[in-house]
Amino acid sequence: MHFIVSSTSLLKNLQLVGGIISANVVLPILEDFLFELDGNTLTLTGGDMETMIKVQMEIQRELTDTDDNARTGRICIPSKILLEYLKNLPEQPVHFTINKDDSSIEISSNTGKYKIGGEKADEYPKEPQPNDATSFTLPSLRLGEAINKSLFATSTDTLRPAMTGVYFELAQDGITFVATDAHRLVKLTRNDISCPEEGGIIVPRKPLQQLKNIIPSDESPLEVSYNSSHLFIQNNKIRLSCRLIEGKFPPYKAVIPADNPFNLTINRADLISSLRRVSIFANKSTSQVVFDIVGNTVNISAQDIDFSYEGKEQLSCQYTGDDMKIAFNAKLLIEMLNNMEGEEIRLELSMPSRAGIFRPVEKTGNEDLLMLLMPLMVGV
Amino acid sequence: MDQSQHTLRKIIHIDMDAFYASVEQRDHPEYRGRPIVVGGAPDRRGVVATASYEARKFGIRSAMSSRKAQQLCPEVLFVVPRFDVYKTVSRQIRDIFHRYTDVIEPLSLDEAFLDVTSDKQGIGSALEIAGLIRKAIREELQLTASAGVSVNKFVAKIASDMNKPDGLTFIGPSRVVAFMEQLPVEKFFGVGRVTAEKMKRMGLFTGADLKRLSEEELIRHFGKSGGFYYRMVRGIDNRPVQPHREIKSVASEDTFERDLDQPEDLDRELEKIAGRVVQRLQRYELKGRTITLKVKFGDFKQLTRNQSYPQPVSDYDTILDAARTLLQRLDLEGRKIRLLGISLSHFEAPGSGPEKPGATQQLTLF
Repeated sequence: MHFIVSSTSLLKNLQLVGGIISANVVLPILEDFLFELDGNTLTLTGGDMETMIKVQMEIQRELTDTDDNARTGRICIPSKILLEYLKNLPEQPVHFTINKDDSSIEISSNTGKYKIGGEKADEYPKEPQPNDATSFTLPSLRLGEAINKSLFATSTDTLRPAMTGVYFELAQDGITFVATDAHRLVKLTRNDISCPEEGGIIVPRKPLQQLKNIIPSDESPLEVSYNSSHLFIQNNKIRLSCRLIEGKFPPYKAVIPADNPFNLTINRADLISSLRRVSIFANKSTSQVVFDIVGNTVNISAQDIDFSYEGKEQLSCQYTGDDMKIAFNAKLLIEMLNNMEGEEIRLELSMPSRAGIFRPVEKTGNEDLLMLLMPLMVGV
Repeated sequence: MDQSQHTLRKIIHIDMDAFYASVEQRDHPEYRGRPIVVGGAPDRRGVVATASYEARKFGIRSAMSSRKAQQLCPEVLFVVPRFDVYKTVSRQIRDIFHRYTDVIEPLSLDEAFLDVTSDKQGIGSALEIAGLIRKAIREELQLTASAGVSVNKFVAKIASDMNKPDGLTFIGPSRVVAFMEQLPVEKFFGVGRVTAEKMKRMGLFTGADLKRLSEEELIRHFGKSGGFYYRMVRGIDNRPVQPHREIKSVASEDTFERDLDQPEDLDRELEKIAGRVVQRLQRYELKGRTITLKVKFGDFKQLTRNQSYPQPVSDYDTILDAARTLLQRLDLEGRKIRLLGISLSHFEAPGSGPEKPGATQQLTLF
């Protein structure tokens, strides 16, 4: 097995599939890249126990190379050493020669000759197959946006696995993405994308994290398929398959207040920078900031009694409702506001002990975004 | 009084010897035989929670500032308290108590009253039970405790202190009256330095001297406490051992030798009082949300001012700052101050989860 490939183009593609690779003591072979050569097409694979990412690239071939045996083959190459080498190599063609008998890899370039011991590809886990799958397509950018706006709100509590992923609620009239860690919740509905069959899947955090880095940020189509155990996402270059989280997503609709009568409209950037400053003076463990809303001003304050720290700011806003004092965790709130778009946001409130709903004032396209944050309460 | 003879109680007061320090010396052999202080480090305005007996030889005492302790004994070793460990040991001690009685009133992690009038095992002798408890604590926990055995809480508590450390003192019913008569007045519960001096000026040095005064006279001179002294000195203390007594506030106050009006004098007193409050809070493992300042003027008029916090506090700086601020806000109008006191209330136990009242709680959806 023999091929020639541009060093930078190989590196770029390996980085697409390599993000998912981590130290793996259970299956050490998952620390390798799987190289599969078929004619002029080289397929690169990286994965972990749950996820597998494949990318295809075209390779050059010397005209003299006509040996069929050299044009196909599979081999596992340790990822860390290969990436490190390619990162230190200036752009140039690199020759890979694989000895199928002892799984050794010989790399030669203008700079020299290198050798890596590989492993037999047969030991690499098989890719799951999309049996009994439901499929639909959506523009790549839509999925990227949905991941960006929801992923941060997922839980890291492994005791409640259903909340460690993003819930895709699929229907013919739209797709809703929901993430929550029980303190906050993000719900993003798009009615310009759809799935022919109603359904719901929970996609784990890690593959989504990878996905948003590797799918193109344009309108090019992605094909999405899922069955009872796996999700498959692909375009003409990349294919990701991952195991779904089993279990029931919490009943999120029931906890979104239907009617929060008090509305506060405020400039998003101003609020974020104010929160950043005031929260410096907040108690580090609670990050508590208090919103004291009086008329069309909101007084934002924080204090840390242990150190006698105190911060206060006043922002103007548009407010319709009763004067109210409500406290939030500034860290969670800043993160939420950063994951929103638009100049102004609307905060919908009802009581200091009830969820606050945050929405962008201007609707962007066919997107309906709602973020919800539970307040902090000082017990009595 | 005749009736109380019929219902003679058997009360044991158990007091662990230099508890925190002893636990540290038990768990860290390298600390043994050395002067150690459990508490805050001297560079952080800490307070001594417990000093080992080796450190006490240098004059180091509980509630003293750690800096002072270091001045008294430069080689003293400061050990960061491990309250979770003390708590565990305290529970083990309490388990030992429960072998003999369920009527236990813990005063703090290292101190408790036991009523063994009718003990679980039918041993009958309070003295023997106290001995068994001390033996169990020594053998099972490798720690020493001092015990006082008597007919009421007051005498039992004084008794436990008489042969410390590792002592057992028994003041039987026939000796209670004589014991109280010889007791120096400053040992009486509630008699501080100022009251003791006042008593001495009046020629009252011991319980016997107090006993010569009528209840009315005592009340006239010492206020409400007078009635308490009157009963105590006659060996009457019917306060029951209360298993579920809840601490509602922790306070410390000081009456000054002469009335004060200079801010720097008042500030120095506040520092001392705050140190003692913090030390007691640590003993009881409490954090409180309300700080109250008590001020008594030269004309005996008294007022209190308080400040509450959303989160419970227990640290020296916060408590002292709050007390200072409350004092500064008062318009003294040139009046002299006779007494200052600081107390903390609205407690929340440290380490308790956000579900406990008083803590900031992140509300959840599911």
